Amino acid sequence: MGSDIPKVQKVIAIMWPSFLIAGVATILFFTAFDPVDFLVTTPFADMSRMGAYTVGFFLFWLLTTASSMLTCYFQRPCVFKGQQNNGNSISGHTA
Amino acid sequence: MTENTPDNSRQQSGDDIQPKLYAQCGKLYPRQVQGFFARLRVIGVLALLGLYYLVPWFSWGDRQAVLFDLPARKFYIFGLTFWPQDFIYLAFLLIIAALALFFFTTLAGRLWCGYACPQTVWTEVFLWIENLVEGDRSKQMKLDKAPMSWRKFYLKTSKHTLWVLFSLFTGFVFVGYFTPIYELWESTLAWTLGPWEAFWIFFYGLATYGNAGWLREKVCIYMCPYARFQSVMFDDDTLVIAYDEDRGDPRGSRKRNIDLKQAGLGDCINCTLCVQVCPTGIDIRDGLQYECIGCAACIDVCDDVMEKMNYEKGLICYTTENARQNKKEKILRLRVIVYAVVMFSMIAGLVYSISQRIPLELDIIRDRNALYRETDEGLVENVYTLKLINMDEVQHEYNLSATGIEGMELILNEKEIILKPGEIVSLVLQVRVDPVNLKNVSTGINFSLESKINPEIKTQRIGKFIGPVIK
Repeated sequence: MGSDIPKVQKVIAIMWPSFLIAGVATILFFTAFDPVDFLVTTPFADMSRMGAYTVGFFLFWLLTTASSMLTCYFQRPCVFKGQQNNGNSISGHTA
Repeated sequence: MTENTPDNSRQQSGDDIQPKLYAQCGKLYPRQVQGFFARLRVIGVLALLGLYYLVPWFSWGDRQAVLFDLPARKFYIFGLTFWPQDFIYLAFLLIIAALALFFFTTLAGRLWCGYACPQTVWTEVFLWIENLVEGDRSKQMKLDKAPMSWRKFYLKTSKHTLWVLFSLFTGFVFVGYFTPIYELWESTLAWTLGPWEAFWIFFYGLATYGNAGWLREKVCIYMCPYARFQSVMFDDDTLVIAYDEDRGDPRGSRKRNIDLKQAGLGDCINCTLCVQVCPTGIDIRDGLQYECIGCAACIDVCDDVMEKMNYEKGLICYTTENARQNKKEKILRLRVIVYAVVMFSMIAGLVYSISQRIPLELDIIRDRNALYRETDEGLVENVYTLKLINMDEVQHEYNLSATGIEGMELILNEKEIILKPGEIVSLVLQVRVDPVNLKNVSTGINFSLESKINPEIKTQRIGKFIGPVIK
């Protein structure tokens, strides 16, 4: 039941797994690709590696957060038109 | 495993009647505890945090001993230098760490959580600071209930200032693992930090402050994946912390030295100290719970009480399910042995492969523009780009040779191949062959590169030579 889950757990369930996976993705990505090599033809050619890693990490986090949010969103019980709302399956629906 | 029932335990802290002295959702006030296991944890805290805060300041030769030099894409760990090509070792290390966690969990339960987890260790320091500023548990609860006053404002501000300073220093040391720490310290003092360094100091500082100052047990309960799955590694011989119900119940307060049988009481005097010291706010007497991080604070405090009551110690103690049921205990069981064997063979493999590592990398890329070229003398020529990395700590001069086709001629623009430590060099190599010696359109040739000062440092790569076959 969604409403029984404390708010802190809801926030953590989105932010935390995405943070962990973003960290792993950053490590894998930047081990394989050197930002200096692929930024050279872009407007960000002057960015330091440290900066590229940082921006890369937060971009990954943004993506994984989006994924976690969608997962949480689709976990909500489905209520179709005409279906009786018995008041208890819908309790997780307050956004 | 029994779940903590919500009825008697989800109360706001520190009020009314006794067993409801703690709360799951409100702030917890873990009482400071002294005893054998508390001392072990203090040793753990001092050793681990000592390592964390000191290691980046050590030097090795003319560089920082442990430096994960992300800007230069090189990791230095004492005498070793790791490159992105060595990523496999990191993967190995993570697998070994996971196996070690499984091994120790099966053997002794949540040792990691209680004594070594950064969350526990940093929270412990934050609790010390809180105690130093606000006083012990009851003073803290009184202070939080009291209306805002100058004294409360002063105490709270001091506490948070100390927490923030400690967190920022923690963040600074963290960044010091990635940028040379002495220079970082100088630029911090001179207020000339680079934007990214400054950002990460604050980010890591904020994470420390938030996790150890505010979230605390919530990290273990809601955020920690290990806490969720550790129970699958448990078996009936795993060390857990448990309350001896047969001995302790029925619980109740009593006068000292009364006849327990007559009073119809067990050894538990229901002082609830075990609940007050619990950093995750559970009652261990309800049985093993997923929130229990195995810190043994309840053992320490209960042993004290037992001593004062002249009862035998160990009403709450480290035990195993089999011991509780008076069954035979077994330390070496199959899963312990399997974890140990896999873990130690991986450690041995890692150490061996690092010791056998050749600090030289050679890559060969054939020129893609032309398959081959015929020279004026009627020889067939292929062009290659060689990428060389000297991953050693000293300068090397290398010999390049190749085998595979008779009478091969190697032509380099450079007279000698000398690479400084850590240097990466690209060379253009022309290989000329008399077409009579070509048996196939494509022939493999074996390039080998060998250090002149240390013949053990050598590497080989296979390239392709393409040319017309004369029938």
